[in-house]
Amino acid sequence: MAIVIALQDVTFGYLETERPSLNRVTLEFSSGEFALVCGATGSGKSTLLRILNGLAPHFTGGALSGSVFIDGQDVTGLKPHDLALQVGFVNQQPESSFVTDTVEQELVYGMEQLGFERLQMEQSLEKVAALLEISHLLEKPLSWLSGGQQQRVAIAAALAAGQRILLLDEPTSALDPEAAAEIVGVLKSLAHDHGITVILVEHRIERVIELVDSVVVVANDGLVTKGSYEQFENYHLVPPVIGISTKLGWNPVTVSVAQAKAKWDQRPAPWKPIVNDYLRSKIALDVSGLSVSYKDVNAVSDVSLQVHSGEIVALMGKNGSGKSSVLWAIQGGGKRDSGSVTTEFGDPNSLSAEEKLCVLTLVPQKAADLLFLNSLADELQESDKYAQQSEPATSRIFEAMAGRLDPKIHPRDLSAGQQLALVLALQLVKGAGIVLLDEPTRGLDYAAKRSLAKQIRTLRSDGKAVLVASHDVEFVALVADRVLEINQGRLVSNQDVQTALGVGASHPTQLSQISMEHGLLHLGQIEGQQR
Amino acid sequence: MAIFAGVSQNAVSQILVAILALGTIFLFREDAPWSRSVKFYLFLAAFVVVARVLFRIIFNIQNPDEPTALFLPGLSVNLGFGPAVQLFGEVSYQALADGTTDGLRLAAIILSVAMASSLANPRTLLKSTPSVLYEIASAVSVAINLAPQMILSLQRVRKARSLRGRSKGLGSLAGTVIPVLEDAIESSLSLAASMDARGFGRKGNLSAAQVWIARLSSLGAVALLSIGSFLVLVGESQLTGGLVIALGLVSSVVTVRIYSKSQIRTRFDRDKFRLLDGLLLGVSFALFIAAWGGWLS
Amino acid sequence: MISMQGRWISKLSILFAGIGSVLMFAWPLLISSDSAAEADVAQVVFIALMPVMLTLVLVEIATGEIGSKQIALLGVLIALNAVIRLLGAGTAGIETAFFLIIIAGYVFGSGFGFLLGTGSLLVSALITGGVGPWLPFQMMAAGLIGIGAGLLPKFRSKKAKLAVLISYAVPASFGYGFLMTLWNWPFIAGTGSSLSYLAEAGIVENLIRFSQFQILTGGLIWDLGRAITTVLLIAITGGLLLATLQRAASKAGFVKPSTKEGASQTVARGF
Repeated sequence: MAIVIALQDVTFGYLETERPSLNRVTLEFSSGEFALVCGATGSGKSTLLRILNGLAPHFTGGALSGSVFIDGQDVTGLKPHDLALQVGFVNQQPESSFVTDTVEQELVYGMEQLGFERLQMEQSLEKVAALLEISHLLEKPLSWLSGGQQQRVAIAAALAAGQRILLLDEPTSALDPEAAAEIVGVLKSLAHDHGITVILVEHRIERVIELVDSVVVVANDGLVTKGSYEQFENYHLVPPVIGISTKLGWNPVTVSVAQAKAKWDQRPAPWKPIVNDYLRSKIALDVSGLSVSYKDVNAVSDVSLQVHSGEIVALMGKNGSGKSSVLWAIQGGGKRDSGSVTTEFGDPNSLSAEEKLCVLTLVPQKAADLLFLNSLADELQESDKYAQQSEPATSRIFEAMAGRLDPKIHPRDLSAGQQLALVLALQLVKGAGIVLLDEPTRGLDYAAKRSLAKQIRTLRSDGKAVLVASHDVEFVALVADRVLEINQGRLVSNQDVQTALGVGASHPTQLSQISMEHGLLHLGQIEGQQR
Repeated sequence: MAIFAGVSQNAVSQILVAILALGTIFLFREDAPWSRSVKFYLFLAAFVVVARVLFRIIFNIQNPDEPTALFLPGLSVNLGFGPAVQLFGEVSYQALADGTTDGLRLAAIILSVAMASSLANPRTLLKSTPSVLYEIASAVSVAINLAPQMILSLQRVRKARSLRGRSKGLGSLAGTVIPVLEDAIESSLSLAASMDARGFGRKGNLSAAQVWIARLSSLGAVALLSIGSFLVLVGESQLTGGLVIALGLVSSVVTVRIYSKSQIRTRFDRDKFRLLDGLLLGVSFALFIAAWGGWLS
Repeated sequence: MISMQGRWISKLSILFAGIGSVLMFAWPLLISSDSAAEADVAQVVFIALMPVMLTLVLVEIATGEIGSKQIALLGVLIALNAVIRLLGAGTAGIETAFFLIIIAGYVFGSGFGFLLGTGSLLVSALITGGVGPWLPFQMMAAGLIGIGAGLLPKFRSKKAKLAVLISYAVPASFGYGFLMTLWNWPFIAGTGSSLSYLAEAGIVENLIRFSQFQILTGGLIWDLGRAITTVLLIAITGGLLLATLQRAASKAGFVKPSTKEGASQTVARGF
């Protein structure tokens, strides 16, 4: 296997004073290798990727030292368009990297920029479209495609000029599990069947771990190691199926449900059941017969649910099943065609916007939509002023969740988890008793998700009623008391969490699949050597 | 075609042009947002004719020699500076006729341009810009692709704003524009990365001499065009002015050619030069020659 | 890359282009030929020449330092501004398109301001299908506003910056109105009415007639509306917009960082 990429003593950092993101990295990749790069949010994993095609430092800023070799040539410091012929790049959101408006144009865009001859472009176009099975989509406008199809187009566009190296930055983050699995399968075939070196940054490790050849771990201090699964002994941002090995000291580390199951069957570990110790007091939110339709589509049909104070209810369903519509209809900002919503203070629709914030609050999918000032301090102060609170009420709530941060940070520079905490603090400052969350886990890695789960549990012990919409099974297992499943606008089940996500359910957690024990849903229930 | 319409004075030929333009539009219109505004152009054209005539009527210059069509009381408005403005008064047939002709001329110009813009797909147009403008054309085509996304972004953010319980209206404007702007900036960076990673921005090298020539001819072109315009307007000799402008045009072409050499790109598209396009060009050209030769005035 | 020597020629070209295009707008004031027919020729010729002028300026700006980041940012801002313009369209005098052009021109420089002005008007026309012989002129006029904004003096304090922008917004709005009404004048008034331009008259007399035209046809009301809207929008959003655009400017490589690093091993440095 020929070495196609080599990094020698590469160091990369953004400011002289801070730690470097990458510290004296020396690595190699062979042709046809399928590699996974993982690391915490904010670590150098994305930077490592971008060094390989010049986007770092030319697009990201920062200083690079050391050498990078591609196909034996020293390419250190070259700009992205100089490396475009050898390296293809695919980003998280395919939509925001599309330059043209139809599939065909997008595929040839790279070749046009590189000055290919017309005939060559036609041949390559056919080849790459067949490779990614999108030949039938060539004439279609890009906006008509599904997420999975768009990602295929993005990959095809990156490989159209015959590039032999493909870099992908969290390509499945915007996709649902089925589409994600398909794309990962495509990537594996590109590597193993076609000899393309595929390097993938991903924090949802369980989606790819069984298919990759090697694992690169980027630690927070900039040190990088490459190897196989044994790396996970020291790396903890992992899904439960791997985390259980670390916790119980299994050797070698298990990376699939089947492997873990075999180990567990040999010697199961003791565990504690989930204790539903919430104070199930009065009903805080009562929804009955809720229906919402847009044009001819029934987004929500006759949904009824209740949430008590001190209870966390999860609303689960695929993308497009109506979860968001339900939340918005309850809050009153979204359409509500029929049905009633009752809280302690009446129907939210009858309250003014300001009064509403004292009763219930909604955190939308894209939390950053609510931020518009230039520093963390400004946002916190503005919120206090608006709520007529003496300082620093909002800061207190925020710090409880996210800790003390530099007040001059620009809100957009915060991590996804920190932004979510900020918006939550802004929304809670008026003391609302009902909290609605719409897909809060988007963009969060495992650690951030665990931390968010803890914050939400704190809300519960404060006596608030929480309704969370999410399709993330593991997260819901950490957080919810009850699970409501919604499909095409209709409620199909309403169960306690052990039944909904446990053995025999349609969406079991990894741990319940591994252990096959009723009532065991997440790692926190197992006593182990490490947490 | 527009030039011809502008030059000719005869009402009949105006109408001819107008009908031609309209006919072409109707025959070959494609269904797309930029072409459904035929009504708009018709309306505009009609509006212009009416406006011209009305203007003549309102701001009339009384000419006692001409037969009068309308008897209106004359008004005089004094604005405090300059001669008093004469309004209304006796309107002659000639004035009405002149107004109509002028208006028709304008309408014809507008409709010709309308025809051009209805039949042309802006995206195809962008592709056929001189390669030297490629970067700008890219920005424009990116903008066209993104505009619907911007609208969605705005709606989403407004909905989110309502969650914070703030008042709507001017006060919340900053809170709406800023998040959309921030989103736009972020997505522009990932767009730029995607473009660059695929090779955008490679440029061939021009020799230093070529660069100097290009710069100078560009300066020359602009200077010549400006001077030429000035001469045409102010000077007595139209010919000199015209010549200067022509020189300026030549300079422009030189500039564009030189810069084009530095572009490495190729183009993939499959548009063939359609027969229709050829026909239209031919007719327009013929009309142009006719006007020049003064046959149809 | 195109060499940097001789950049002053570029600037000179742009200067001349500015003058030349204003001429093309102002021809009714300047014209002094004898025959009305020739005046008509002039009118039409300028309709054809303005796009050429536009192209030349665009070429000059484009062959400078323009990379994908600037293009992408430009494209995104054009899309945003075009949408903003459409939001305010229709209502008399409410012209929402200019505040962003002015602020962006101030932050990013004249070249970008010109491109943003030109591009926004082009794209909003393309989207709505409102393309007409006025378009190149509108584009040039908006572009001129962008250029002007880039030439404004830069200050430290936010208040000072806002003050500069607002004081620019007023003459800029009226200037745009002036140019476009100038262009409209021959079209609406033609020749032969008491308010038309006279080919034989001199500048002063035509100026008087033009002013009368402006007042009586309510053009000034539109301009006032435009000025008020733009000033209000700048006042309300300016502070935050400036900061946001400033951040974007350093991210997109418009501004070189002021810190000087002396790392000897550094092989490559991005802005």
